Amino acid sequence: MHFTSITAGLVQLFGGLVASMLIPGFIQSLKAKLQGRVGPGSLQPYRDLRRLWNKSTVSVSNSTLTYRIAPSVVATSMGLAVLVVPVSSLGPNWGVGHDAFVLGGVLALSRLALVLAAWDTRNGFSLMAASRDLTISIFTETAMLISLSVAALVAGSTDMQVMISRISLFHVWSSPAPSLALAAFSLVVIAETGHQPVDNPDTHLELTMIHEGMTLEYAGRDLAMLQWSGGVKHWIMLVMLSEIFLPHFQNAYLQLLCLPLTVIAICIILAIVESTIVKMRLLNVPRFLGLGTILAFMGILALKVPS
Amino acid sequence: MIFDILLLSLAVIFIGGGLVLVKQLFKLAFFVQSFGSLLLTIVGIFVVASREDSGAQFTDKFHPQFGIDPLSGLFLIVLGIVAIPVLVFSGSYLDSDSKRDRVIACLSAAFIIILAGTVCARDPITLLGGWELMTIIPASIILIAHGNDKSVRRSGFIYVAITHIGGVGTWIAVILLAKYGVMGGGTHLHEGSPIQIAIVLSSLIGMGTKAGLMPMHVWLPRAHPAAPAPVSALMSGVMINIPIYLLIRVLVYWCRPLPVWVGIVVLTLGAVSAVGGVVYALFERQLKKLLALSSIENMGIITLGLGASLALTAHGKNDWAAIALAAALLHIINHSIFKSLLFLSAGTFEKTAKQLHIDRLSGLVHSLPVVGVSFFIGVMAISGLPPLNGFISEWLTIQSLIHVSTYGNFADGTIGAISLVAMAATVTLALFCFTKVIGLVLLGKEQFPRKKESSDSLLMGISTLFLALLCIILGLIPALYFGRLMQIAPWSSNKVSLLVLNLPGTGSLSPLCLGAILISGTFVLFLLRSNRSAKAAPTWLCGQKLTSKLYWSGSGFTKPARMILEPIIRPTRKITRVEELGITQSIEYEGEVPHLIESKLYSPISTWFMKVATIIRRVQSGSLGSYAAYLIGLIFVLLIAFRLGIL
Repeated sequence: MHFTSITAGLVQLFGGLVASMLIPGFIQSLKAKLQGRVGPGSLQPYRDLRRLWNKSTVSVSNSTLTYRIAPSVVATSMGLAVLVVPVSSLGPNWGVGHDAFVLGGVLALSRLALVLAAWDTRNGFSLMAASRDLTISIFTETAMLISLSVAALVAGSTDMQVMISRISLFHVWSSPAPSLALAAFSLVVIAETGHQPVDNPDTHLELTMIHEGMTLEYAGRDLAMLQWSGGVKHWIMLVMLSEIFLPHFQNAYLQLLCLPLTVIAICIILAIVESTIVKMRLLNVPRFLGLGTILAFMGILALKVPS
Repeated sequence: MIFDILLLSLAVIFIGGGLVLVKQLFKLAFFVQSFGSLLLTIVGIFVVASREDSGAQFTDKFHPQFGIDPLSGLFLIVLGIVAIPVLVFSGSYLDSDSKRDRVIACLSAAFIIILAGTVCARDPITLLGGWELMTIIPASIILIAHGNDKSVRRSGFIYVAITHIGGVGTWIAVILLAKYGVMGGGTHLHEGSPIQIAIVLSSLIGMGTKAGLMPMHVWLPRAHPAAPAPVSALMSGVMINIPIYLLIRVLVYWCRPLPVWVGIVVLTLGAVSAVGGVVYALFERQLKKLLALSSIENMGIITLGLGASLALTAHGKNDWAAIALAAALLHIINHSIFKSLLFLSAGTFEKTAKQLHIDRLSGLVHSLPVVGVSFFIGVMAISGLPPLNGFISEWLTIQSLIHVSTYGNFADGTIGAISLVAMAATVTLALFCFTKVIGLVLLGKEQFPRKKESSDSLLMGISTLFLALLCIILGLIPALYFGRLMQIAPWSSNKVSLLVLNLPGTGSLSPLCLGAILISGTFVLFLLRSNRSAKAAPTWLCGQKLTSKLYWSGSGFTKPARMILEPIIRPTRKITRVEELGITQSIEYEGEVPHLIESKLYSPISTWFMKVATIIRRVQSGSLGSYAAYLIGLIFVLLIAFRLGIL
C-alpha cells in the first residue's frame, strides 16, 4: 500500500474516532471567550466522557432491548460513517467503499435507533425531540442528498474520493454548481451538527431542545457513547465540507495538512454564528433548509443549461 | 420440460385449493398449496438463472398460449416466494370451522393460479382475461369476508369501478399491440409514431391505475385493507406488481425505441406517487390502510427506476439503463417481501388486539415476540436502512436517477434532479412514518394480556420469520443475483462483480462488510455497556408518573410535519369545548388529513356524472305510452329526414 494511503488512513481513524470530540469542545470554549466567560477548556468533552464511563447506566422500567441497545447502534454507525467518509483523495477502502449515499443510509440507521429508544421509554420530552428531529431531517437529508448529487454530477461519480480529486481541479469552479453546492451543504452542516440557528446545543430547556432531548433518559456509558457520537458527527460533516465542498488542493498531503486548518476555521465560524444569531422558530427551519435544497437544485440546473 | 413443471406446480395449487374446502384436510391443503408455490419459485429461479424461454412465444392471435421467459420467471419467483409464507400463515389465520373462511381459502388459491397465468400468458385474450379475473377475485373475497359491512361494500364497489374504468386503457393498449402485430414481435413501431404514443399513453393509464400510481390510486387504500390479512398480503405483495410487469413488457420490450418524453412522464408519475403515498401514510391511523398507502409509495419508487431506465435508453446509455431496470425489478422483489411480511404481521396484531387503530395498539412485542421482531425487521427494510434489502434497491434507484441527471439533456436532466429530491424526501418520510408505527404498535407498555402459545401462533411466527430472514439475506448478498436481474433487460450490458456491487460511477456498495461491522461493533459496545450495573428507574417525566393517558399519539408525533406541510395537504381540525360556569369540563378534538385527490378531483367528476344521469333518467318514465310516443316520434323524424334528402 502506498505511504500516502497509510497516512490518510491513520488521519481518518485518529481524527474520526479520537480527536473528533475536540471539535465541539473547541467550539464551546471559543463561544465562552466570545461571550466574555472563562468557560471550560477544549478538552472538557473528554473529561465528561471519562466521568460518564465510570458511572452506572439506567434501566428504565417497561423498556425493551431497543432502549438498551440504541446507544451502541448509534456509536457503531457513527464509527462506520468515519470509515466511509474519506479525508483525502487517496486512502484505504476499509472494505466499505466511500459512496456518498451509503453514508446517508448509515446516518439514517443511527437516527432510527434514537427515535425508537424514545418510543420505547415513552418519555414525552424525548418523543417531542424525536418528532422535531425527524421533521427537520426531511429537509436536512434532502438538502444533503441534493448537494452531494451536485458534487457527484461535477465529479462524475458518487465515490467521495473521486469527488475530492475532481473538485480540486481549478476549471470545475468556473461553473456556479460547486459554489451552490457549498452554500447548500453549509446549511446542512449547521442543522446536522445541531448548532444555532437550528438547534441550541447549550439548552436544557425541554421546549427548545432537539438533539439533547433524545439523550434525556440515558446515563453512564450509554450517555458517553451518545456524546461521543455527537462529536463524530461534527467530524464527518466538517470533513465533508472542507474536503469535498470547499476549494482544496490536488495533492493528497496538502489536503491532509490543510484539513485541521479548515476545520478550525469552520469551528470559528460556527462559534461566531452561534454567538450572534438567535435560534429560529422550529417552523421556520424548513424554510432555512429548503433554501439549501433550492440552492443545490439550482446547481444541478446550472450544469444542465445548454451553453 | 421446465414448462411442464410449471403446469405441475399450478396443478398442485389447484388440488390444494380444492382440498381446502374439506374441513378435515384444511391444514394439509395449505401445505399442498405451499409445496406448489415452492415449485413455482423453483421454476422461476431456474428460468431467470438459465435465461431460457420455455413454452410458447408471444403471439398476436387470439387463442390461449402460455410460456415463460426470464421476465415472467422473475414475477413467478415473486409470486411463489410470497405465496409460500402467505399460505402457511393462512393455515392458522383462517378458521377451518367457518365455511366462509374455507371459501376464502379456496378463492385465494384461485387468485394465485390466475396471477401465475397472467404472468405466463402469451396471447392477448388470456392476458386480458387474467387481467380481469385478477381484479374480480380479490373483490369477491372482500365481499365474502365483510359483505355485511356497508362501508366495505362501498370500498369494493369503488375498487371494481375505478380499476375497470382505468382498465379500459389496458384493453386498448393490448388490442392495439395485437392488431399492429407488435406483440408477436413481427413489426416494430417507429419512434414517436401515433400508434406508439396511443399504446404508451393508454397503457400508462390502464396499468398505472391497477398499480395504484397517483393520481389513479384512490381504490388502493380502500381495497387492500378490506381483505383478510393473507389476501391483503397477496394483493399488495404480488397483484399490484403485475401491472408493472405489463408496463415493462410494453415500454421496455415491445414499444422500443421510445421518445425521451415517455421517460419524463414515467418519472413524474413515480415521483408524485412516491412522495404522495408516503405523506398520506405518515398521517394515517389505521395500520392496514397505512401499509396500503405505503404500497403506493413503493410503486412510485419502482416506477422511478423504470422511468430512469427509459430515459437512459433514450440516450443510448445501455449499461445504466439495465442497472436502472434491474433496480426497479429488485425493488419489486424487495417490496413484495417486506410488504407481505408487514400485512401478515398486521393480521396477527388484529387477531390479538381485535383492532388496528395504531394509537390503541401498544407493546405488542411482549405478547408476540416472534412476529414482533419480524415486523421490526420488515419495517427497517421498508425504511431503507442498511444492511437490509430495501436499502440496496433504494440505493440503486438513487444512483440511476443521478445518472439520468448526468446523461440527460435539460428536460430529462431536470426531471431526474426533481425525482432525486422526491426520492430523498420519500426515504426520510418513510423513516418518520415507520418509526411511528414501531413505536406505537410494538414498543411501550403492554396493553393486552399474553395469550398462551399455541401451534397456531407458531405457524404465524414461522411465516413472518421466513420473510424477515429473506429481507436480511437479500440485503447481504445483492451482487450474487444483481447481474442476473441486469440481464433481463432486452439489450446486453456489462456484468457486475461478486460480493461487492461495484457499479461504474459509484463508490462501491458492500453490504456484507457493512453488516459485519454494524453487527460486531454493536455487539462489542453492548457488552462493554452491559458490564456496568444499571439502576432501575421509571421514565423521567418531571416527577410525574407515566400513565397511558400521557402516552404520545401518532397524530401528536407527526404534528410538526403536519404543520409544515399544511399549505399542501390542508389538514382539518375541530375542537369542541364543553364549558360549565366558566370551567372547561371536557375538550373534544377531531383532526383529519383529507385525501385531496379524492375530494378535489374525483368527487366533482362523480357528482357531475350523477347530475347528468339524473337528467337522462327523466327520459325513462317507465310507462308504456311514453315509449310508444318515443317510437312514433322517431319514425316522424326519420320520415322528415328522408323527405329532406338527408338519409
